[in-house]
Amino acid sequence: MQALKLEGLSKNFGGLEVLKDISFSLEVGEHAAVIGPNGAGKTTLFNVISGALSASSGKLEMFGRNITNASTHHRIQYGLGRSFQITRLFPDLTILDNILLALHGTKPSRYHMFHKVAAYDGIMEKAEQLLQPLDLWDLRGEKVKAISYGDQRKMEIIMSLASDPKLILLDEPTAGLAIDEVPSFISTVKALSGNTTVLLTSHDMDVVFGLAERVIVLYYGQFIAEGTPEEIQANPKVREIYLGIEESEGHAES
Amino acid sequence: MGGDRVMNTRPDKDAVKNGKAKKTGVVAGLILLGVLLVALPPFMNPYGESMITQILIFSVFAMGLNIVVGYTGLFSMGHAAFFGVAGYTAGIMMVHYGIESFWIIAPASIVLATLFAALFGIISLRVSGLYFLFVTLALGELLHSVAWKWRSMTGGADGLTGIPYPSLGLPFIMNATHFYYLVLIIFVVCVGLLYRIVKSPFGSALQGIREDEHRMRHLGYNTWMYKYLAFIIAGFFSGISGMLFASFANVMAPEHLGVHTATLAVLMIILGSDRVFFGPIIGAAIVLFLQYYASTFAPERWPLILGAVFVLSVMFLRGGISAHLIKLWNKMGSHHASTKT
Repeated sequence: MQALKLEGLSKNFGGLEVLKDISFSLEVGEHAAVIGPNGAGKTTLFNVISGALSASSGKLEMFGRNITNASTHHRIQYGLGRSFQITRLFPDLTILDNILLALHGTKPSRYHMFHKVAAYDGIMEKAEQLLQPLDLWDLRGEKVKAISYGDQRKMEIIMSLASDPKLILLDEPTAGLAIDEVPSFISTVKALSGNTTVLLTSHDMDVVFGLAERVIVLYYGQFIAEGTPEEIQANPKVREIYLGIEESEGHAES
Repeated sequence: MGGDRVMNTRPDKDAVKNGKAKKTGVVAGLILLGVLLVALPPFMNPYGESMITQILIFSVFAMGLNIVVGYTGLFSMGHAAFFGVAGYTAGIMMVHYGIESFWIIAPASIVLATLFAALFGIISLRVSGLYFLFVTLALGELLHSVAWKWRSMTGGADGLTGIPYPSLGLPFIMNATHFYYLVLIIFVVCVGLLYRIVKSPFGSALQGIREDEHRMRHLGYNTWMYKYLAFIIAGFFSGISGMLFASFANVMAPEHLGVHTATLAVLMIILGSDRVFFGPIIGAAIVLFLQYYASTFAPERWPLILGAVFVLSVMFLRGGISAHLIKLWNKMGSHHASTKT
């Protein structure tokens, strides 16, 4: 069974075609990256997959379930998680409250009205487990708007991992992290359980080639190529897009 | 700026200790207030008693409404409708049908108010922001005009007069003091319920929706359902308040369903602070005291006074009076702590 399957997915904003007939699929446990220059449609693609935008045409399947018309919160319940390129946290709530919201989100307890939000078995341990490695546990009482931008970016990522999603979309996860924090992010994603499927976008090729087993290239909303990192690096079309050089066939094959 | 840094790196233990001290302070204050409220009536003149009764009744309304306004961030100008529906239902049952048992009137009027909230919520939550405010306002005005026109039932513009105290089925005839205690008990129960709701995963989710609804959907929350439930819960508490108000005031008038009463409740929330749980109680007390003094000394100036207070508080007391009281309290606390070390 495939974790994610796109069939002829398109998205138009009026006359502007932002995604054109995109098809690809991800196997369960696969780590893949979508790359492409600015305006390639990466974030739009993520928005269509997470349900923030509805597809104009095409079909979307997650773990064999047709989710083309499912609302975002249903997709999350089916096992999707997502982080955002532009940090979206709850600024007036504390770090702990932010994490607790993420932890309750996929459990029936999210509708409970008469239990204290932190008084669930194991929930504080789980919160500590998530926050401690990022040195955020001691700051858990601080409002998110009062912590540093770097810490907010870390929060952005663990918020999307908190509910143990089976399929995670990470949109520019390392943007805003200090350079020396990138390796620890890469190992965090590598440490996810073996059947967690990851789809990420990044401008940082160290992240892409460090994490992705497969790379998908978009260019102005069009699917250009897919393959292993090595194949993509050698692909003449991709080189042309990224480097702007038209290379001779013989050269590209060498 | 420097202060922030110190706060951020302050060791965990101190923060916990501070939190505990604050908690005991609040609990002690609450117990003292509770004892005062229970023991006061024999020492109070009827005006004082009636004033406190009214404050308690409107506190239930304002705190309930704050679930929607403060916690969820939705500006409803329509919850007076549910206050009014419950008040009129209680009044009509007692005046026209001679049903005086509290045990029938209370559930009937509160359930009806809640049902109206369930209906109005479906209509008004189709839109958001300013549109939501206007739809709720319009729906409230709709009921206002029904009360105005349906003279046989509601007494029209003259109001529904002669609403008595309900009967509890106990071997005494209820007087103002008994009613005060009934209101006090209901107030305490409501505050307890609201506190549980606010501190629950559900209440937490409402605040998340206020902060970033889009992200909440991406954490798995059906945000529409939360807003709808919050709307209904606020309607339920508005209903409790309205049912009590009918007997307190002896009269229901069309204005109790409409924008006039809705504005008053929202003012209580804003004045008292929409981000502090007990804020609306302080807001209710201030608004009702002002209303009382204005109506004795300069009744025709009441809207002017209310407007001036509102403008001044928005200009100088951003975030509501309670938020500033808490800041002051914390300042005193930290001053106390720093002189000790």
